[in-house]
Amino acid sequence: MTATTTEIPPATSPQPDSNIGGSSDMTAPARAHWMRRLLRDRAAFLALLTLALVILGAIFAPLLATHDPASNSRSVMTPPAWMARGKAEHWLGTDGQGRDIYSRLLYGSQLTLLIGFLAVGLGGFIGSLLGLLSAFNEKIDPWIMRTMDVLLSFPAILLALALVAVMGQGILPVVIALGISSIPDCARVARGIAIGVMKQEFIEAGRAVGLSNLQLFNRYLLRNAISSIMIFISLRFGQTILIGATLSFLGLGAKPPAAELGMMASQGREFLLFAPHIAVIPSVLIFIIVLSANVAGDALRDVLDPRLQA
Amino acid sequence: MTPTPIKRTGFGMAAAMALALPLSAQELTIIRAQDSNHYDPPRTTAQSGAEVIFMLSDTIVGLAEDMKTIQPLLASSWDVSEDALTYTFTIRDDVSFCDGKPMTAEDVAWSLNRWQDPETKSPVRWRMGNVKSITAPDATTVVYELNAPHSELLYQLAQSFGSVIDKDTYETLGKDFGVTGFNGTGPFCWESWTPRDKIVLTRHDAYKWGPANYDNAGPANVEKVTWQIVPEAATRTVALLTGQGDISPYVPFIGYDTLRDAPNINVIRSENAFWTNYMGFKITKDLVGDVKVRQAINLAVNQEAMAEDLFFGEVEPAYSYVSSGALDYDETLNDGLLKYDPERAAALLDEAGWILNNDGKREKDGKVMEPLAISFTGEWQQTSEAVQADLLKIGIELQIEPMDSTVYWGKSATDEFEMYVMGYPYISAGDALNLYFRSANIPTPNRMNWDDAETDDLLVAGSQATNDADRAAAYAKVLHKVHDSAVWLPIYHRPMQIAYSSKLAPFEAHNIYGAGLYKGLQLAFTE
Repeated sequence: MTATTTEIPPATSPQPDSNIGGSSDMTAPARAHWMRRLLRDRAAFLALLTLALVILGAIFAPLLATHDPASNSRSVMTPPAWMARGKAEHWLGTDGQGRDIYSRLLYGSQLTLLIGFLAVGLGGFIGSLLGLLSAFNEKIDPWIMRTMDVLLSFPAILLALALVAVMGQGILPVVIALGISSIPDCARVARGIAIGVMKQEFIEAGRAVGLSNLQLFNRYLLRNAISSIMIFISLRFGQTILIGATLSFLGLGAKPPAAELGMMASQGREFLLFAPHIAVIPSVLIFIIVLSANVAGDALRDVLDPRLQA
Repeated sequence: MTPTPIKRTGFGMAAAMALALPLSAQELTIIRAQDSNHYDPPRTTAQSGAEVIFMLSDTIVGLAEDMKTIQPLLASSWDVSEDALTYTFTIRDDVSFCDGKPMTAEDVAWSLNRWQDPETKSPVRWRMGNVKSITAPDATTVVYELNAPHSELLYQLAQSFGSVIDKDTYETLGKDFGVTGFNGTGPFCWESWTPRDKIVLTRHDAYKWGPANYDNAGPANVEKVTWQIVPEAATRTVALLTGQGDISPYVPFIGYDTLRDAPNINVIRSENAFWTNYMGFKITKDLVGDVKVRQAINLAVNQEAMAEDLFFGEVEPAYSYVSSGALDYDETLNDGLLKYDPERAAALLDEAGWILNNDGKREKDGKVMEPLAISFTGEWQQTSEAVQADLLKIGIELQIEPMDSTVYWGKSATDEFEMYVMGYPYISAGDALNLYFRSANIPTPNRMNWDDAETDDLLVAGSQATNDADRAAAYAKVLHKVHDSAVWLPIYHRPMQIAYSSKLAPFEAHNIYGAGLYKGLQLAFTE
């Protein structure tokens, strides 16, 4: 750290509006500004509101649930309250074991969201770090990226099958499998973004003033690439939830009697002809979560990605 | 059960999905859930194997629908020596194989010898008893000699494993016998097999030696039989409603009400199915090693509620390990059966030292009561989850590991669980007890690790008994013994139910090894 006495340009400085040419690529818009624009987009607002509601429902599941999600009852396959034979006590009906579907949805979304967050967090963190390193250091670039190509060839479901075979059924192998399968995509996107950043003059300027690699990486590269990477990860979230639910549907995820949306849909499959609500209701919730995550991610990209701005 | 609106909705949906395909009146399609690995009689123990083999070939004796009356089939009569060691069968001289070749006593002896030949690796060789020799001294006589009496021999010989097949065809096809072709003396002949899709059989026109339980001794009324695999339960229901299939013994329990209401479908039912679904305890494991714990689990589970809610009242809740209608069931067992009584269950756990902790879980010496149950997926998973919910109410946290049947069979032969699930067919109490409780059958099918010298002796005594009373007495003792030790948690006795198109003449369901249609001679279109 020989450069401690040198005046270090603040990290945010290489994004003046006055920059000539295409170098305003990495400019982050003023924060208040993008938030307002995001909320003005009606679809995005609705999606964010829905996501917020689902997340709140999941967090406060113990308070909101009307029944114990694992406790069965003698009223099996009760349809939702608004249908004939429905009961007010179970307003979304009960499943094949007589468990309250509404309460199971709350606990189920808890697990589904947790799988999504953990897997995307794991994959996003490792993947972006690898991608950034790859762009930062040309020597390790081919090594990292070829490894990513190998990883890319493993389908998430196959990987999960193998992990479940080794570790036994549970949430952990699913999270790991989904995390690993997110790594290569995140790494490639992060590398693409970082290569753009690395071409900027401020990187050269930083080098010229004698900044250490760590400082360059942390202050210049990371901070300028992070928002675009976050957008990608948010888009990936919906997809991960969907694959996670698929795995549970196939019986690879949560163990009974835990509620998980994919598993709930799978349990209702056998009664699809006779009591369709058991499979349809959790499937609709999965659809809503994934759709909201995708719309919100898209909107975030629209307001945050400078390349899409007029 | 009365039809409910929700089920009518199902019927409406099914009708809306109708894609009825016109079928030639003499071609019968049977819908079933799964295929067999192959159709070589002594080597397949699959129910789906037996149900086709019974149609393709004949056994030396047949069994009537009541599961008790032995019928002449390939043997027109038989004599049993006084010491019960020698069975002399008189074989019919008018029987021919599908390829037209006459069948002789030689073929019968060869087929039975192949079943007991260690090289055949038949998993059910023990069903034949302790065989000394099986010979054919002339074209119409088979002599079956035993080293020790085997009281169930005739019942076991009625099973598909001893089906008579043609030696020449077997030698030509080798391992492909029952895969690419078959040559038997049954009412139907092999036409083609597409694994996991369908097996097609054509009528054996020369057939006229059907067992006496059928009015029609042959040939069969229908020209062609197709066993069609439809893996999805709801689709099987729809296939029947829309006429894509004519018969199915594999309708999901939830579908029966809909089918009974449908004008074009009839459902027949037989209580003599002798098929029991149970969960077994690995009694050598610490958590379930104490008989009080196993009794408590038995008392905590509400079989009656399960039978009504999970299986829509289509099954009989089971408290005994063998159906009370089965040969040699002991009625005195009924007084001590463990029926739903959660309070007594909790008391037993307290007595055994498993005390409720602050989380509401049973705990002893710092160990929490959370036994692991391995289970098939699908219907069995629902059953396990219902047991899990019942046990939770007395503080036992049952862990369930559901797995595909391809994985399950291997896993169930290990020691890595406290409980397992299984359903099994039997012809008598002795058949069931010999299968499960012999110490020689550890680790499978004796997955409980039930290792008791007295049981072994009693089972031998029962199987070698030369009169009914001795046999029944020996098996009754074993029944009491295993019930007292609560080595199983019986769940339900499954009746044989067959749904069939009203275009077919009414018939009676058979029960042998779960093969409800048996020889298929009774099946006839009325229009």
